Order: sequence, then structure tokens, then C-alpha cells
Amino acid sequence: MSELVLKTEKLDKVYKLGGRQVRALSDVNIQVKKGDFISVMGPSGSGKTTLLNMLGCLDKPTYGKVVLDNLDVTKVPEKGLFKIRKYKVGFVFQTFNLMPYLNAIENVELPMDGTKKSKDEKRKRTRELLKMVGLSEREEHRPHRLSAGEQQRVAIARALANNPAIVLADEPTGNLDSKTGHEIIRLLGKLNIDQGTTIVMVTHDSLIASRASRMLFLNDGKLLAKEKQGTHLLKKELTCPNCGREIQPDDTFCPRCGKKL
Amino acid sequence: MRAFLVVIALGFSMAIMISIPPGIVANQEAVQSLTENFSSTINTAATLIEVSNSSGGGMPSGMPSGATFFRFGRGGAFIDETVVDEIRTIEGVKDAVPFLEVSSNETTPETMNTPRGSFTINRPLYTIEGVCLNSTFIDEYSILPTNITTPGRNLREGDSGRVLLSLNLSDYYDLGVGGSIGIYGEPFTVVGIYEPVSQGFMRTNEVYMNISDAQRITSNTGNVSRLDVYADNASVVDNIAEVIQAAYTGLSASTNAGRMQMYQTALNNAESTLSQTQTVAFEEIVIAIVATSLIVLVMMLYTVRERTKEIGILKAIGFSNWSVMSQFMLEGILLSLMAGVVGVVIGIVGAPYISSLLLPSANHVNLFSTRGGFGSQVVNFSARATVAPDLRTLLLGLGAVVLLGAIGSLYPAWRASRTSPMEALRYE
Repeated sequence: MSELVLKTEKLDKVYKLGGRQVRALSDVNIQVKKGDFISVMGPSGSGKTTLLNMLGCLDKPTYGKVVLDNLDVTKVPEKGLFKIRKYKVGFVFQTFNLMPYLNAIENVELPMDGTKKSKDEKRKRTRELLKMVGLSEREEHRPHRLSAGEQQRVAIARALANNPAIVLADEPTGNLDSKTGHEIIRLLGKLNIDQGTTIVMVTHDSLIASRASRMLFLNDGKLLAKEKQGTHLLKKELTCPNCGREIQPDDTFCPRCGKKL
Repeated sequence: MRAFLVVIALGFSMAIMISIPPGIVANQEAVQSLTENFSSTINTAATLIEVSNSSGGGMPSGMPSGATFFRFGRGGAFIDETVVDEIRTIEGVKDAVPFLEVSSNETTPETMNTPRGSFTINRPLYTIEGVCLNSTFIDEYSILPTNITTPGRNLREGDSGRVLLSLNLSDYYDLGVGGSIGIYGEPFTVVGIYEPVSQGFMRTNEVYMNISDAQRITSNTGNVSRLDVYADNASVVDNIAEVIQAAYTGLSASTNAGRMQMYQTALNNAESTLSQTQTVAFEEIVIAIVATSLIVLVMMLYTVRERTKEIGILKAIGFSNWSVMSQFMLEGILLSLMAGVVGVVIGIVGAPYISSLLLPSANHVNLFSTRGGFGSQVVNFSARATVAPDLRTLLLGLGAVVLLGAIGSLYPAWRASRTSPMEALRYE
């Protein structure tokens, strides 16, 4: 059995809004194994982002616990949470959230600020990541000179900077057109397969959600019992059975040998 | 743009901080130099009795016959030179310094308008000031002008056939140092030119020469026009004046008691002005300090608010509270440092203007200026000092601005560090 990277137990989150209590999450129990690519689907206001904030230590649950990489992060004092966010979690946001005055390479390097890595090591790692997301040629460009898809790629590279245990993606395709959105999902899928990156992605788009390996459903802050298998393929399934070359999950025909898959 | 404006505003604030202390120093220096100059003048003046012939005509009793009247010497009639030695023997008299003041033989026509009609008179062009060129007199009693222009020199002991010319006369005759001027038919060499301290006083056209030369050329051998009598100390001045007046009918002996009282009051006023200036300066520096801190505080609060989302991102990707805080602190300090450099430049260039604007009496103390207030002495009751911030002041000012920048950034930076990342990420 694969190692558990993330686990929540009876997660509750209650907000107070003008004297009224709003239960954003209720008794949420999730288990994420190393190498999982999970999508959490639900309509607006279902608690998806709240859940992601709990998982990424941006917010604390009212009740229950979050165990990340064998550490109960709900017991970590506020002052220590930054280390978990720096080393254990990588965030990908809907609006990319890149620093507008930094270029691609500097944006990716940012989470490595204050780590023990030398300047050269940081630069080497950053170049590897930008290559991985296909932006080697764009490393000197600032966000405003990159397309939306490219900006999200930079954001994904930034999320991976400190080799986190888990990548949390909040509507990563929400601000992208359909084609670019699928490219980003494909990239996440590829990272999951090639690098073994564990990903939890929240989305309200069922098509995007279906590209994960597991689909969870959230409604009114509650995780529904039903869980679906996504169309995400394993590494061995991403090669052409005819010629053995790499194929993309969407491909119907092998781009190399042209035979039907 | 905003940062630029803030840098300029802080720069001015700093310029004020570095301009005011030198202004105060200059003010202190001016008052000090005035006090020193003034004290020695007062000490000398306190022992001085001016003796002149007040009869205006007729022969004063006690004076040997043979003394003649001559046009208008300042004291009216002349005094026989032998009186000088006699006065020196009076108990308590330290010394008696004779002067001979005679109008020039050269005249200039001047039209006078009177109710009876206008007519022209010939006014003497200048006054010959015959001084006793004795080194003790020159050194101790300042009998000669002090503002000698270069090149050139002052008169010295034993100088004969040489004169010191006022700047006006030098211009009038177009005569420089080394030139020759004819006075009463005799040629004199110009050894120096002096600049009179006050143009307000009428008698600024003077030619200084050895008293014996003056006596000879004006046919006044044995005559002096007045005496400065110096007492051993101020307490015997009144007695000596009485003795002189009793012994020589027609001679007037006046002391400086009343005038000194006035001068002392003026000096006290200068000191009180200094104290007021210091109070104003202190208030202005406090205002500049408060303004600097407030500018940084408001600017940084605005920056923190504007960059809330950025703070959220930084915290989401693992920046600690301390990192966020130090980043904003550093920003505030760097901004202040830039402002400091601007302030140093403004301060160096504009310190005299800024300090004179904020401290009107910063670089000069001007009570009044006169000539011949005490006998022949030139008394200058004004002092001026240069306002220039020194390196220490500049560095202190720079340090102060950076420190104030750090203090002003402290609260905004702290607030930034406490921002909840989740809330900050939602901020648009």
C-alpha cells in the first residue's frame, strides 16, 4: 500500500458571519496517497477552497485534524506554519498570483528564498523546473509578457520549487480558455506521472476534474460518499502499444506511428 | 512616482534637519564673535575720556598762546599739543592719544537750497586724519582702520610721507596702492586703501597720515584737534574728566557711560535673540522629525494596503512573518536612505537659504554699526557667520532620517507580517 501523504479526520470549519454561524466544512475525511492526482469537485460555495486552505495550512480548522507528511499540522503553532507551506506544500492559484515585478526565473526562485540552497543550486533547480514546464525560452520574461497559460506554467514551476510533498491547485484552469486549460491539466498529469508529484486539485469543471485519477465530490461542505475514477492514465498507459513512443492522455491516434490507440 | 515624491518630501525634511543646527552654530558664532569684539571694545571704552575743545572760538584758558583756529576741525578749535603731556601726568591716566583732523584744501562745489534762495558752497573733499603712529597706540587703541583691501597695507610706526586712503577717495582719484596724491601741495604715497565699515556715517572720505605730516602741511605744528585719554581703570574715569574740565576751561571731557549702557543692552538683546532662535530651531527640528516619521508611516501603510495580495502570496509560498516584516522594513529604510542622499544634496546646496528662511537671524547678528563711537575707534556691532553643515551634521542627519524611516516603517511592516495569508489572497 502506498504511503499516505495527506489525511484529514473529521474536518470542520465554522465561520462567524455577523453573528451567524456558517459551516463551510463538515466532517471531511480524505486520504491522499503519495503519487495521487485527486480532483475535488463541487459547485460554487461548496467549501472547495476552504478545504484547500485547510490542507495548505493557510487556515485552521475549527475541529478535526490535518496530517501532512505524518505531521498533525493543526497542532503546529501559527509561527511554525510557514515552514510547512514552504517545504511541504506547493500552491497553484486560479489567478496565478505571480509577482508582477519579477521575471519567470525570479518568480520560480522565490519560494527557495531563505532555504539552505546556494545561489547556483537555486538557479539550477529553477532552470530544471522551467524546462519541465516548457518555458526554458521565456525565463527572463515578466508575467505581463507571458500568456495566461505560460503564467500558470510558471506558477506550477514555483509550486514545485522546494519539491513539496503535495501540490494544491485551486481552480488552476479557471482563468484559462478551454484549450489552454487542457494543456495545463496535461502538464499536471505529466508531472504526476513523471515526477510522482502528489496533486490535489479543486475545480467546478467536471471535464477538468475527470482528468484526475480520483474524483471526490463536495457539496455544502460535506464530502459525498461517491468517488469516481478519473481518466488520468498511468505511466505505462501513456505509451503507444504499437510503437512504444510517448503519447498524451487525450490522443486517439499515436502522433508517431499514426495507429489508432 | 509616489515613491519619488516621498523621497523628495523626506529629502526636504532632512535638509531642514541638517540646515538648522549649522544655523544655530552660525548664530552662536556670530553672537560669540560679537561678544568678544564687543567686550574688548567695552573694556577699552569704559576707560576712555574724549577730550576736545568745545569753545568753538577764543582761546581756552590754560592753553599757551599761539594756538590757532583752523577751518573746521572736528572739535571746533584746536588744542595745544603740550596739553597732551600735561594730561598724561594726571593721576589715573594711562595714556593720552592725540589726533589732528583737518579739512582738505581741495573742495567740491555743493548747491544748498534755503528759503532765501539757493547758493553754492565749496565743501572740503575729505578730512585729513593725523594719527600718532606709535606702535602702542596702533596695537592697543585701534587708532587706524582695520578693513584694508589687498594689495596694500596699513600705516606703521614711523611712516612719513605715506597715506592710507578710503575706498571712495581711491575710486574718486582712480588711485591705487603705490600711487601718489598731492595734499596741501606735498606729494604723498598711497600705502593702502581701507573700506569704511559704515557708509551711513557722513565722514567716510578720510586720508590717514602721520600726525606730524598733518601738522606740517596744514601749518598746525603744535596743534591737535582732540585727545583720547585712557584711564587706568573705569572707576577713575569720572574723576579724570572732572580734573581735565576744571584745569582747562573750554575743554570738554566726555565719558562713554551712557553709550556703554546702551551697548550693553544691545548685547543682551543679541543674546536673548540667540536663545529665542534656539527655541524656534528646536521646535522646527521636532516638527521635521515628526513630519518625517509621519510621511514614512503613511506611505508604508499605503504600500502595505496596496500590496496586501502580494503579502498573501509571499506567505502562501512559505515566507515567515519575520521575512515579510523585514522586507517592508528594508523598503522603508531604503526609501529613507534615498531621501537622505537627496536631503544631503539639498542640505549642502540650500542650508544657508533654508536656515535663513526658518531662522531669520541664523547667520548674522546686527545690532548697529558706527564709526568713531569711541574716539577714533571703529566699532562694528554686527557679526556674520557662514551656515554650512559639516560632515558630522550630514552623517547625523542621514542617520536620523534612516532611523526615522525604520521607526515609521515599524508599524506598517508589523501589520503586513500579521496579515492572514488567506484574507490577503482574497484581497483585490
